[in-house]
Amino acid sequence: MKKIVLLSATLLLAISMLFAGGVAESKAAPAAPAVSYEVTEPITIEWWHALEQQYWPLVDEIVGGFNSTHPLIKVEAKYIGNYTTLNETLVAAHAAGTGLPALSAANTPYVAEYGKGGLTEDLTPYIKATNYDIDDFGAGMIAATSYEGKQVTVPFLISTQVMYYNKTMAEKEGIVIPAKIDDMEAFLAKATKKAADGTTTRWATIIPGWDQWYFETFYLNSGVKIVNDDRVSTDLAGPAATALTKKFQDWVKKGYTYWASGTSASSNMRQNFIDQKAFSVIHTSSLYNTYINLVKDFEVGMAWLPAGETKKSEIGGSVLLIPAKNDQKTKNAAWEFLQYLIGKDVNMKWADGTGYIPTRNSVLNTSEGQEFLQRKPAFKAIFDNLDEINPRIQHAGWNQLATIWKSYLDQIMIEGVSVDENLQLMAEEINEVLADSE
Amino acid sequence: MKQQKSLHRRIQEGKDFGTVLPALLFLGIFVYYPVVQVVRISFTNWNLINDNYSYVGMKNWIWLFQGSGTKYLINSLKVTALYTIGELAITIIGGMLFAIIFNRITKSFSVMRALVFLPKYVAMSSAAVVFIWILNTQNGILNYFLEQLGQSRVNWLGDRNRALGSILMLTGWRTVGYGMMIYIASMRGISSSYYEAASIDGASKFVQFTRITLPLLSPTTLFLFVTTFISAMKVFQSVDVLTGGGPYRSTEVIVFMIYKYAMEDFRMDRAATIAVFFFVILLAITAATMKISSKRVNYDA
Repeated sequence: MKKIVLLSATLLLAISMLFAGGVAESKAAPAAPAVSYEVTEPITIEWWHALEQQYWPLVDEIVGGFNSTHPLIKVEAKYIGNYTTLNETLVAAHAAGTGLPALSAANTPYVAEYGKGGLTEDLTPYIKATNYDIDDFGAGMIAATSYEGKQVTVPFLISTQVMYYNKTMAEKEGIVIPAKIDDMEAFLAKATKKAADGTTTRWATIIPGWDQWYFETFYLNSGVKIVNDDRVSTDLAGPAATALTKKFQDWVKKGYTYWASGTSASSNMRQNFIDQKAFSVIHTSSLYNTYINLVKDFEVGMAWLPAGETKKSEIGGSVLLIPAKNDQKTKNAAWEFLQYLIGKDVNMKWADGTGYIPTRNSVLNTSEGQEFLQRKPAFKAIFDNLDEINPRIQHAGWNQLATIWKSYLDQIMIEGVSVDENLQLMAEEINEVLADSE
Repeated sequence: MKQQKSLHRRIQEGKDFGTVLPALLFLGIFVYYPVVQVVRISFTNWNLINDNYSYVGMKNWIWLFQGSGTKYLINSLKVTALYTIGELAITIIGGMLFAIIFNRITKSFSVMRALVFLPKYVAMSSAAVVFIWILNTQNGILNYFLEQLGQSRVNWLGDRNRALGSILMLTGWRTVGYGMMIYIASMRGISSSYYEAASIDGASKFVQFTRITLPLLSPTTLFLFVTTFISAMKVFQSVDVLTGGGPYRSTEVIVFMIYKYAMEDFRMDRAATIAVFFFVILLAITAATMKISSKRVNYDA
């Protein structure tokens, strides 16, 4: 009996190893080139998104508009969760090779990893075959949604980093929003309020530490190369990065600001601004509508982030992609729906109904853009700097880098530990990750 | 005659094996095959998204034990061990204390027992979301009560010295009732004749507890220890919802570490390496526990 069990176990192991060996190196054969991108028969497709409940009426309206004008295609919109959950679900479905949506939204930092891993369909042939006017998007947006020259995604709901401030308070107290990082110290000192015992009663600003996207801009504009040109090392422990990190730490120590990290950091920060416990906050422009709707006691202003050597910002929000493992019929239907979702008219609906920026040149630089500004005047800060919005840094090890960076900065800001020492340790780890991922 | 017997025995053995074969196949496909695959992945550079990968020898193991992964592995092992000790203490000591308090056969105590046990039915993710708001630094009800008592607000989830304790608050709220119910059931199984005899001999309640109840509860304690130990070592949901492993990895338990490498960083190769190592640790500790405890557990009850 023992022998039989042993034999069975050995056989099982051998079969599994044999099967394991068989799948190594290549799991899927490359898809045959498609001849036609047209939809010729009825099909129902799924679109995965991360738009929260407040946007569902808008999603229903837009999807309903597509379904009523495209009789062959029925789209079912599916809310998966936030972008992290959406990413996990999508990647799991891709790895399994089943249960994929026809079309999915994804957060902008994933473009490089998805592109490199072959998760996304290269849309370049679709664009050529259907003469789609991709150039109506700005060059920065095209670059942000491409990987190694291939259009692996397209811009969908685009945002950037901005500073929201209490305009009423600024006018009343004569606080000037800093245009330069060098002006920050004076601004922070003036906008901060302290009690007699030295504790802060009103922060001048709040710096989000939960997502490196928010503080990344400060480093880039200070001349820091987050990923060096050699692609396997970082300058995050260099003199410029160290000086800026020390500045942040100093501002935290002085009680001018706090480093917002942790699970409730975003909502706490927002509430502090609404409760006027913070003069300003650094957040995403996509939350403009949310801030406007929640703030009742003062006027909300929006400003471009303080500049250093440059005044760049980085693209945020989401892109749209077609999973590469779908069959061609599904891909064709998805391409049809994708064009509709990012079309000029629908793009304006998204921009009006959410806090995202209009993405099309044919809107931004025309009277339609001016009309949009009349409806949302605070967006002038963004419209004046559209050329400064840059693609995200694309590296297959980016997410790992971001995790390490956030973790070290959290500790530096919250515990006040040595900047030099910790940045050195951090850079060593990041270099290892970059070299291993490239 | 002898040959006939031997043939009959073999047929019988074949039948016996046939009855367990479906279970063996099930285990093989859904348990052992994935385990073998995880071991194999730990020797590759698979990044989850990419269909192609190659074998990299011991690279991931070197990263884990001699590279930048070592300090995070040690950190996660430490955090997991602390959490496990906390959950074991809550379930076993807390459960026993509650069992002593609530072991009364009256309707009111029955209702109170149900109230203590009820949180076990609440899904961990839902409970964690509720605790996020209870523990919120600015608007949380816990800090509100502290302020009413003249104390300053506490950063429950954002302070590295408190975050793990805050997660254990949620754990305690959910599991203490479970420990209590298991102990009560076991206590009621102890024959009253032991206590009667001890009373006649003049033993105090405390002596009765330490000399009769505790030893006869040892199989239950072993059961709670092993099951709680394994579940505590694999804690994930509460950490994921409450702290996301932060602040700065101070609550990054080992399962969360595996998840982070696999699903956030797409490093399935590194995640698999940690998973294999963790599997071996769990196996070794469980085996050691069973061996040590077999000499000390009293099954007379």
